[in-house]
Amino acid sequence: MVKVDRATQNDTAGGSNKVGAQADANARIISFGGGKGGVGKTFLAANVAVALAQLGHRVLAADTDLEGANLHTCLGLPSPPVSLADFVAQRQEDLGKLALDTPVENLRVIAGTHANLGSPQPSHSRQVRLMRTLRRQPVDFVLLDLGAGSHTSVLDYFLMADDALVVVQPEPTSVENAYTFLRAAFYRRMRLAMLGHGVRKLITEAMDHRNERGIRTPIDLLREVEALDPAEGARFVATMRDFRPRIVVNGVRTAEDIKLGFAICSVCRKYFGIEADYLGYVNHDEAARRSVAARKPVVDFRANSDAAVYLQRIAHKLVQSTTADGSTRTGGVRR
Amino acid sequence: VRSLDEQDHYEVLEVSRNARSVEIERAYQGMRSAYAEDSLAIYSVFDGSDTSAISERIELAHRVLSDAETRASYDRSLGHYPEEAEPTVAATAVNHSTRELPERDPASPPFDDFEQNSDEESGEFDGKRLRRVRMRRGVEIDDIAEITKVSATYLRYIEEESFKDLPAEVYVRGFVTAYARTVGLDPERVVPTYMGRFRVAQGAKRKGFLLGGP
Repeated sequence: MVKVDRATQNDTAGGSNKVGAQADANARIISFGGGKGGVGKTFLAANVAVALAQLGHRVLAADTDLEGANLHTCLGLPSPPVSLADFVAQRQEDLGKLALDTPVENLRVIAGTHANLGSPQPSHSRQVRLMRTLRRQPVDFVLLDLGAGSHTSVLDYFLMADDALVVVQPEPTSVENAYTFLRAAFYRRMRLAMLGHGVRKLITEAMDHRNERGIRTPIDLLREVEALDPAEGARFVATMRDFRPRIVVNGVRTAEDIKLGFAICSVCRKYFGIEADYLGYVNHDEAARRSVAARKPVVDFRANSDAAVYLQRIAHKLVQSTTADGSTRTGGVRR
Repeated sequence: VRSLDEQDHYEVLEVSRNARSVEIERAYQGMRSAYAEDSLAIYSVFDGSDTSAISERIELAHRVLSDAETRASYDRSLGHYPEEAEPTVAATAVNHSTRELPERDPASPPFDDFEQNSDEESGEFDGKRLRRVRMRRGVEIDDIAEITKVSATYLRYIEEESFKDLPAEVYVRGFVTAYARTVGLDPERVVPTYMGRFRVAQGAKRKGFLLGGP
């Protein structure tokens, strides 16, 4: 891979290193979000990490879900004595000392265990520092396993990543939470990108579904922003264009389930006015369930299973989009 | 960024202005199912009045763009002049006489664009690979059963390589041929390798029988 020593000053959720933007420092950061718990974020993060390492890339997988950490378990490690919580609590500044070797060559993991459950989330400034430090690690990819829900700390990990994946299962609860998550991420991203107080206030109002102005969709909001301040309107549009989440459908059982990814991308276009990429899908596979029970990644444990093949495809596509020009990063939904 | 009201028919169907009629048809089918009342993808985002407004736009866009004459006049109103003439419809039409899908089904979702590194090109076809290709091409087991009249149970056994539950070789060969053809694969590429696996499994079974077993 081409390694460039890039600047890191933009690691804030409102900076230019946001959903869909090209990497701006050494390691490329890929986040696995999706709102709902149990949709397979950790399973995907662990397996894509292994698949990337098997392709010869240096990978660091980090568990940011400090209240429900189990990335290390999916990678076959027992509960480790050090974790990301030590960085969050400022007990350890050197992330390299928190990274543990895994049974897979080229792959290290930072667990999320032993958090102070009284205050598990890092402050925003601590989170920004974490992202900058992660980006400077001597690896090609940093994979972040995100917690469930739409807490601002989860959203910021999502927004600061170069590839922001939304994992969704073909069921109403998952789809509903994925849209809630995307909506929350979208508004936060837009609010942070705006300069004027008036426009920021307008966005805060729009976040309330029952707002008095009758703003129902992000496109309605854009029209209001343009009317209030054309320069902010232009900034809003530019930020929208950069906001490119990547959809992964997990737990596919039928050919119809696969189409859900295309349909979600269309809804993103028609409702949010944004381009989402359909990155791939993973089938509902007994081999995957067995691999989790055995605490081993399925791409290693059952390498010829359908799930492993689909996960390897996702890893390949992530590599392709890293090496290719940003404009070629399509999930097949742009025609 | 344009809202639905501001979008032209091409934007509504999410196709390029130079899209061929098969691509328009494919996009229309995809849109219809994405914005159907019971579609999972719109759940919690659009309410009933939104979806009926979107559906009306989709239908109108399709009506205008699926007819060469109305499309040409619409293109002129947009100030758009297509680069080249449309290829003949006969060359791309679905073969309705056998109800089998052609090699590349133009009406299926755009999986070919979506998955560049498909595993269909070469090598051995096992049950898992057949299933992956079928899913990718948007074909359900029941679709194949309906078209080929082979029972869905046998089709599943073929994918699961549950060889002991399948009938004699001559039947299985026919089933696999019909399966391959229906998902748009060349049976001459699929059948020899798949049946090779079947025979190896059958051979192992027979050998076990001759040896008497434990």
